[in-house]
Amino acid sequence: MFKKILIANRGEIACRVIKTAQKMGIKTVAVYSEADKRALFVALADEAVCIGPAASAQSYLMADKIIAACKQTGAEAVHPGYGFLSENADFSRRLEEEGIKFIGPKHYSIAKMGDKIESKKLALDAKVNTIPGHNEAISGPDEAVKIAQGIGYPVMIKASAGGGGKGLRVAFNDKEAHEGFSSCVSEAKNAFGDDRVFIEKYVLEPRHIEIQLLGDSHGNYVYLNERDCSIQRRHQKVIEEAPSPFVDPAMRKAMGEQAVALARAVNYESAGTVEFVVGADKSFYFLEMNTRLQVEHPVTEYITGVDLVEQMIRVAYGEKLSFSQADVKLDGWSMECRINAEDPFRGFLPSTGRLVRFDPPAEREDVRVDTGVYDGGEISMFYDSMIAKLIVHGKDRDDAIQKMRDALNEFVIRGISSNIPFQAALLQHPRFCSGNFNTGFMVEEYPDGFDASMVPHDDPALLASVATFARMRYIERAVQISGQMAGHGRSVKKDLVVLMAGGRYPVSVEAIDGGMRIRQGDKVYDIVSDWTFRDLLFKGTVNGTPICLQIERRGLCYHISHFGLQVQPMVMTEVAASLLERMPEKLPPDLSKYLLSPMPGLLREVAVQPGQEVKAGEKLAVIEAMKMENVLKAEQDCVVKKVVAHPGASLTVDEIIIEFE
Amino acid sequence: MHEIIRQLEEKREKARLGGGQKRIDSQHTKGKLTARERIELLLDDGSFEEWDMFKEHRCTDFGMASEKVPGDGVVIGYGTINGRLVFVFSQDFTVLGGSLSETHAEKICKVMDQAMKVGAPVIGLNDSGGARIQEGVASLGGYADVFQRNVMASGVVPQISLIMGPCAGGAVYSPAMTDFIFMVKDSSYMFVTGPEVVKTVTHEDVTAEELGGAMTHSSKSGVADLAFENDVEALMVIRRMMSFIPGSNREKPPMLPCIDPADRLDMSLDTLVPDNTNQPYDMKELIIKMVDDSDFFELQPDYAKNIIIGFGRMEGSPVGIVANQPLVLAGCLDIKSSIKAARFVRFCDAFNIPVVTLVDVPGFMPGTAQEYGGIIKHGAKLLYAYAECTVPKVTVITRKAYGGAYDVMSSKHLRGDVNLAWPTAEIAVMGPKGAVEIIFREEKNNPEKIAEREAEYKAKFANPFVAGARGFIDDVIMPHETRKRVCRSLAMLKDKELQNPWRKHGNIPL
Repeated sequence: MFKKILIANRGEIACRVIKTAQKMGIKTVAVYSEADKRALFVALADEAVCIGPAASAQSYLMADKIIAACKQTGAEAVHPGYGFLSENADFSRRLEEEGIKFIGPKHYSIAKMGDKIESKKLALDAKVNTIPGHNEAISGPDEAVKIAQGIGYPVMIKASAGGGGKGLRVAFNDKEAHEGFSSCVSEAKNAFGDDRVFIEKYVLEPRHIEIQLLGDSHGNYVYLNERDCSIQRRHQKVIEEAPSPFVDPAMRKAMGEQAVALARAVNYESAGTVEFVVGADKSFYFLEMNTRLQVEHPVTEYITGVDLVEQMIRVAYGEKLSFSQADVKLDGWSMECRINAEDPFRGFLPSTGRLVRFDPPAEREDVRVDTGVYDGGEISMFYDSMIAKLIVHGKDRDDAIQKMRDALNEFVIRGISSNIPFQAALLQHPRFCSGNFNTGFMVEEYPDGFDASMVPHDDPALLASVATFARMRYIERAVQISGQMAGHGRSVKKDLVVLMAGGRYPVSVEAIDGGMRIRQGDKVYDIVSDWTFRDLLFKGTVNGTPICLQIERRGLCYHISHFGLQVQPMVMTEVAASLLERMPEKLPPDLSKYLLSPMPGLLREVAVQPGQEVKAGEKLAVIEAMKMENVLKAEQDCVVKKVVAHPGASLTVDEIIIEFE
Repeated sequence: MHEIIRQLEEKREKARLGGGQKRIDSQHTKGKLTARERIELLLDDGSFEEWDMFKEHRCTDFGMASEKVPGDGVVIGYGTINGRLVFVFSQDFTVLGGSLSETHAEKICKVMDQAMKVGAPVIGLNDSGGARIQEGVASLGGYADVFQRNVMASGVVPQISLIMGPCAGGAVYSPAMTDFIFMVKDSSYMFVTGPEVVKTVTHEDVTAEELGGAMTHSSKSGVADLAFENDVEALMVIRRMMSFIPGSNREKPPMLPCIDPADRLDMSLDTLVPDNTNQPYDMKELIIKMVDDSDFFELQPDYAKNIIIGFGRMEGSPVGIVANQPLVLAGCLDIKSSIKAARFVRFCDAFNIPVVTLVDVPGFMPGTAQEYGGIIKHGAKLLYAYAECTVPKVTVITRKAYGGAYDVMSSKHLRGDVNLAWPTAEIAVMGPKGAVEIIFREEKNNPEKIAEREAEYKAKFANPFVAGARGFIDDVIMPHETRKRVCRSLAMLKDKELQNPWRKHGNIPL
C-alpha cells in the first residue's frame, strides 16, 4: 500500500480523505492556501504545504504547485476530492507522467466523460438510455414539428448556445412545437448570435437519481445502488438520500447495469457516478458521468458499508475489488443534509466570519458529521459555503428523517447563519416526507422564497414550557443570593405567563423528581432535565419522550430553536405580563438616511452599490484608521441610494459615505 | 378605633389612586406605568413597605391648600430584590405632574438617610415635571437637600436612577450624581434646558427626544448607562443588575451559587486573535466565554464602543470588566472611552468589586478634536482611577498594549495584582512601523533597510517576553485557559488588603 498520499483539496472532503488514510495507516499531506492556514484539514494532516494565496486559481487549481508539493514530501499518490482538479484530465495525465498515482480515474476516462457530446455517443453505443432528441440543424418549424412527433411530446426546444432559461421552450403539441421553434430561433439569434436549435424529450416531473459505481484496473465493476438528489435549490443539492424512494429493485438493477456498461466503455477505474434524469413514468435517461467522488457519497457508504475513499485508494494502488456485485448491500436508509453558511431567512445570502460556536452532534453509529471547520474557526469568503454534511442512517426512510430532525436540533452554530432552519423545515414538509417530489420541489413549494413563517411546529406550547423551566431554574438560583434580609426572602410565584410570538401561555409550575411539571390549562408537561445556564443544548425528557432543543437567554427573552422554528419567549408573572401587554408597540426606529464616518480615516472599501438592497449587519464600507481596518455594517435593512465617498478618500468624522433610500 | 381604621382605609385608598383614575389612565396612554405599578415590578412580590403614605405638602399659596394628595407625588419605602434590601422612591406623575415640593423632597431624603444608616442601595424612579413652582424657593431647597445626600451617599451606598418620564432643569442633577442612570425610550427625557429655551437661545430646532431622550443619552452624551424599550423591561433588567452590586461599601458584593466550572477551558479562544495584527476581532466574545454562564451585564453598550464595561461573575462573585474593543476605532482610548471606563472603575473600587481588564489597545486616539477636547485631562481620569483603585485587579493583555495606553490599562505599575498576557501580546512603546521611523530616522529613504529594521523591532517587541523579563507581566497564558487563570487569580486575591494614604480626597483631573 501507499506510504503517503497528498490531498489536493480543502475543507470537509480533505478531512474526510485524511480520516480514511489514517485508518489505513497511510501518512497524509495537505496542501493549503494562505486563507486556510488555520483550517482543520491542515491540522489533521501529517504534513502540510502552503501552495499560494487564497484565490483557488492561484492555489488549489495550480497543478504545478501540487506536483511540486508531492515531490517535496514524497507523496506517492494524490486524492483530488471533488471540485478543483478532480475532473481535470490534464492533471491526471501529468501526475501519471510524473510517476505519481492519481486516486481517481485515468485521464482518458475523464476526458471522454467530460465531453458532453462524446459521453452521449458512448452512452448510446453502450446501450445506455439517453434522452431521445435530434442534434442536427433543423430547417424550419415544419421539420421541428415532425421531429417532435418522432420523439413524442412533450419536447424541449433548446438553443445550442442557450443558458439561464433563455432560448428554451417546452411544447406539448404540434402547435406549440411550431411556435416554440420559431420564437426560440429568433430569441437565440438575438441573445446569443447563434440560431442553432435542437429538440429533445422533455422529462416530466424529473427526479435526479444517480448510480454510484466502482471499477478497478482489472476490469471489475460494481454498482453501489442509487442516490436520490432531487431536492435542489437553484441546482444545488440540499438533501440527498439513498436509496431513492422512487426506485424499485428492477429499476435499480437496470440503472446499475447501464451505469456499469458505460463505465466499462471507458475502462473506468475508481469511484464514479452516473447521473440519470428520471421521469414520473420511471423512464430514466443518462445525463452525465461524474468522474470523481461526490459530495453525497456518505449516504452510499452508510447503506452499503463500503468506504468509498478506501476503495479509491486501493484501486489506485492496483488492487482488485475485494467484492462483487452480489456482495453489495442495501441496508436501511441514509440521508444527508448539506449544512451551508448562509442565511435562509435572507434569501440564502452567504454568511462568512468567525464560528463563535461550532458544536455538531456527537458522531455515533447512525449519525455522521463530515466537516472541515471547528469551534473558533473562520468561514472565509473565498470558498464554498458548505461547512459540514450531516449524515444519518435509519432502518427505513421515516426513521432516517426522524434521526435527521433530531440531529439538526443538536447542531450548534453561532457567529454565522446556517441553513439548518431551512433543512429542518424541509424534513417536516409533508411532500418531502411522502417521498413524492422531483427537482421542481423548491420552486413549487416555495415559489416566493423561504421565510421564518414557513417553519411549522407541532406544539409551540412545549417551547413555552421549556422556557418556563429555564426561567424557574434562574429564579431558583437567584433566590440563593448572599446578603438577603434574614427570614424575609423572596417568595417565588409558581403561576407565570409566557409571552411568545404574539401568544400568551399561562403556566403553573410544580417540582417533580428531577424536574418540573408545567401545566398549561389541561395540558401537562413533565420536564426532566439537568440543563444548566450555560448549556446551549437543552436535553431531557418531556412526558418521558426525549427532547433536544437549543436555548439561550438574551435580555429578558429565551431564544429557543427547535425543528427549525425560532422563538423568543419571555416568562414573567401575571402582573408583569399584563403590564407589558399595556406597553405601546414600538415601531422600528426611523431609518437613518446616511452612513457617516465614525472616525477620521482612510476609506478602504465601499462594499455596496447604488440600488443595492442591504440587510442589517451586512458590510457597507471599510475604513482604515490607526492602521486598523474598521468594518462599518448596516444597522438596519436599507437600500443604497448613492455612494458619496469613494475608496481612497480621506474622511473626517461624520463625513457622509453612503446615502440610503 | 373602628372609625380610625375606617379613615385609615379611606386615606390609603386615596393615596393609592394618586392623582386619580383619569390621570392614571393618561399615564397608561403615554405608555407609562404608575409609580406604584413600577414599585410592584421592581421589588419582590409583596415585599414593599411604604412610608409616608399620608404625608402632605404644607403650601397654601396659589390655591394649593385644596390641592392636597396624600403622599404628595412620591411613593417611598423599602423592599427586597431577591431578598436583598433596597430603598426606593418612585415619583408619581399623576400627582401635580410629579412636581417636587418641600415635603416630596423630605420623603426622598428620608429613604436616603435610612439607606445610609443601614447600608442599602437607593433606587430612584424619576417621573417628575420639575420643581413645584407654587412653592418657590422651598422646592429649590428640597432639590438641594437631595443633592447633598446624593453626594454624601456617593461611594457609600449604590444609587441607581431610572428615568421614566420627564427630568428637566435642576432636577437632572440628582440622577447625575448617582452611580447609574437608566432611561426608557420615547417616554423619558433629561435635559438642563428644554427644546423651547434651546430654540430661543441657540435657534436650534430639536425635539425633546432628540435633545434628551434615552437614545441621545445612551449613545451621544453618555449620560445614561442603558436605554430600555419600556417600563417593564427597565424594571426587570434593573432587578438583574442589582444582583451584581453590594448593599454598601461595607459589604462584599453578593455571591450566587456557581455551577460553571472555574477550570472550564475554551479552545475556540485560541483562534480569537487573528493572524493579521491589523484585523479586528470582537472582544465581547472573550468576555462572554470567560464569565460564569456567559452572563455579561454590559453598561453603556452604545456609547464609546471602543471600550466595553459591565458586570459579570467569576465563580459566583461579581467582577467589573473593562475591555478595549478592537472592533471599534481599533480599541484606542479617546476622551469618551476614558471617561466611561474611569467612572466604572471607580464605582467598582468604591464597592469592593474586583476589576478584570482585558487589553488590546494601540494607543490614544490622535487628532485635533481629541487634543482640543482635552484628552490629556480626560485620559488622565482613567489612569487616576486605575492607580487609585485598591480592589483586586487582574489584567489580561490579548494583543496590543502600546505606549501610554499600556500603562493606563491596569498595568503592573498601577498596582495590577495579576497581569497576564496571551502569546499574541505585544507590549511596546508603539507599533513597529512608527517606532522604526523614529529610531532609524536617517534610514527613512531606504525602504529595504526600514523593512529590515521593522522586522527586527517586531521580533524584539511584538511578543510578551520583553515585558515578561521585567516582571511587568506575571505569566504568559494560553487563551483557552483564560477563565481558569483569572478565576484562580481572583480566588487568590479574595482577601487582598490595600489602603491608600489618608487624605481628605484626591484631586482627580476633572
